[in-house]
Amino acid sequence: MATERVTNAAAAARCHDPYLRCALYGAAQTALGVRGCCVLSHSPQGCFQLVDAAFGWQDADYTETLTLCTKLCEDEIVHGGEGVLARTILEARELDVRLMFVVTACGPEIVGDDIMAVCQDLQPEVEFPLVPILCAGFRGDQNRGIEIALEAMLEHLVPEEGGFRVPRSVCLVAPHANSNPTWMGDLAWVREVLAAMGATVVATLAHDTAPEDFEKVPMAEGCLVLSHDAGQGAADLLAERYGVEQWCRDLPLPIGFSNTASWLRELGRRLGAEAVAEGMIARGEATVVERCRRKGLEQSPLHRTPAAIVADATVGVPLLRFLAEDLEVVPTLVCLRSGQADAQAMLEREIASLGVSPTVIRDADVYAAKKALGEARPEMVFGSNVERHAVEELGIPFVFRIVNPLSRFRMVDRAYFGYEGMLNLIEVMRNDWLDRYRSRHRRYRARW
Amino acid sequence: MRQIAIYGKGGIGKSTVASNLSMAFRERGLEVMQVGCDPKRDSTRTLTGGRMIPTVLETLRDQLRLGRDQSAISLEDIVFAGEGGVRCVESGGPEPGVGCAGRGVLTALQILKDLKAFDTYGTDVVIYDILGDVVCGGFAQPIREGFAREIYLLCSGAFMSLYAANNIAKGVRRLSRRGETGLAGVIGNSGGQEEFERDLLSQFAQAIGTSLIDVIPFSPVIRACEVKGRTVLQHSPNSPEADAFRHLAEMLLANQSRVIPTPVEEVEDLERLYRSRLDLYAAAGESP
Ligand code: SF4
Repeated sequence: MATERVTNAAAAARCHDPYLRCALYGAAQTALGVRGCCVLSHSPQGCFQLVDAAFGWQDADYTETLTLCTKLCEDEIVHGGEGVLARTILEARELDVRLMFVVTACGPEIVGDDIMAVCQDLQPEVEFPLVPILCAGFRGDQNRGIEIALEAMLEHLVPEEGGFRVPRSVCLVAPHANSNPTWMGDLAWVREVLAAMGATVVATLAHDTAPEDFEKVPMAEGCLVLSHDAGQGAADLLAERYGVEQWCRDLPLPIGFSNTASWLRELGRRLGAEAVAEGMIARGEATVVERCRRKGLEQSPLHRTPAAIVADATVGVPLLRFLAEDLEVVPTLVCLRSGQADAQAMLEREIASLGVSPTVIRDADVYAAKKALGEARPEMVFGSNVERHAVEELGIPFVFRIVNPLSRFRMVDRAYFGYEGMLNLIEVMRNDWLDRYRSRHRRYRARW
Repeated sequence: MRQIAIYGKGGIGKSTVASNLSMAFRERGLEVMQVGCDPKRDSTRTLTGGRMIPTVLETLRDQLRLGRDQSAISLEDIVFAGEGGVRCVESGGPEPGVGCAGRGVLTALQILKDLKAFDTYGTDVVIYDILGDVVCGGFAQPIREGFAREIYLLCSGAFMSLYAANNIAKGVRRLSRRGETGLAGVIGNSGGQEEFERDLLSQFAQAIGTSLIDVIPFSPVIRACEVKGRTVLQHSPNSPEADAFRHLAEMLLANQSRVIPTPVEEVEDLERLYRSRLDLYAAAGESP
């Protein structure tokens, strides 16, 4: 049984650095997804660096997005930092702020600063809405921070009454909770698909989200969570509070032939666009097969090779079927950086339906992943730069770097979702395979 | 230099005992510094004629607001001469309900250390008067950082004072393993049932691996001096109460014992100990 091989490597609330940063980062990532917002970090300067990193992850526009920091020092830890927070909020009146998120770090929350009360008291004095987000790092990892921030957004920015429902409309949730380095490509693909099926995206929580989009959230007919790592809490809240149904909930995200086909079919069914979905599937599959044929890749060079996946659940769970079914590798280890219950259940269903029996580690930190790799000794690893270094002494010859962190600069947002995404993945693997094959320092040790 | 810390339940009389001890040490010709480690900043009040002196953290804050740091603080800003030449320092701390007082106490102590306060004044005895219970790691800092070497637990005959003292002993056990710091004894501050309290506190001290050093008798004179903002040794130097503090000071100076305490682990055991002493006095026809 797959479940007997599942290990929970850590308590869910832990921060799994360097795979995952703390909740402050996740919350900042989410807040910075709102166009033209101001994120005020009530934190020491060190924690504020995470807000800068989140700025980069969201590709936020520096001409219209502001980040501020209260730069707490010992004085504020000893005497409390509510005063400096209040002053900073009031001073922001002189800036062009449309919406302000106040995110908090560990220090002020530990010493008991009442951020909620400060925001509530100052709201009448400022013209922009204030959204306090209690996301101190001790509350959990970045995925937890995303959940906290999404909940705060729904609480403060989405009206309680939904008004009318827009037919065939969707709210997209947590596209940024994805270690796929080109997650914006995935989001763009999903938007294209929805447009082709005649659906309207009323809001995206959160990437380049206009502040006025929050008003439209309750009008959505359905929601799509674009991550298996975070966002489920927000989807549950949308369903409970506004009756917005979650679509494709039990399906792995569209990576690989089968997952993409199932996901498109389900979406087509929901939107009454079955024919559109079938057309996309037929065209997409033909494109991938044809492209692989022309490049001489009809036969997978990875055939029946023992492999490990070390990734976030968003990429890791759907990747399992792509590898096992389409590329015919033998998955011996699945190491996930998060442990959301829904994703876990989905992974177990996938394992059972594929008839494979990998060891599963969830909530893995680098140590747990390295230890598991040392025990499983696969011939290749689908992971990140971290694994590339971690396996050096284990003698595992191939590491395909497909998820963050990567030491590759990208200008173009290509996807992993969908058919072009599949080609993108194959391309990444192929390049890493060739890199190793050509290495003068590391001898070619795989069996092919 | 002797570094003495007085810990105990809030309101039990730590400041009164500390201030009178300071005066008693001073009478013996020792250089004494009393450091109040309590945001209430009232430890040294009876040494300064009822005046509240500026605190270290307040002074630091003023400097920070001017864009300076702690290097702008001098000893004259934070060490004040009290009655009889006892040097008085108050750490200060935040308003109730905000900030972290523990961190504040540590900051203040660090500033004293950085300014070499004890060496500068040729201090023979430092008395730390430390807020109530060890409520968080911050209040354990005087022990952890090696400021306080001899820990005394101040108790009365009330059960909750024993409970608090036992908790403090747990903190001391954790922190004293690493250094020269240790539990030096229990001091009684009588609530009026001296015989019962003496017996109870001896038993309690024994249970936690130390001994009862002395008991300060209950006296309206001590209370009256407190209200007047004076120490007993200044206000009524010839009273038996003043002698009691002198005796306590003598005992403390003579006491070289430092132990890693063996606190009572379960509250039920502590209750049992208390009840057994209570029953004994009830049987003897005395009602404590
Ligand atoms: S864990 Fe806390 S202290 Fe560390 S970066 Fe995150 S918010 Fe700051």
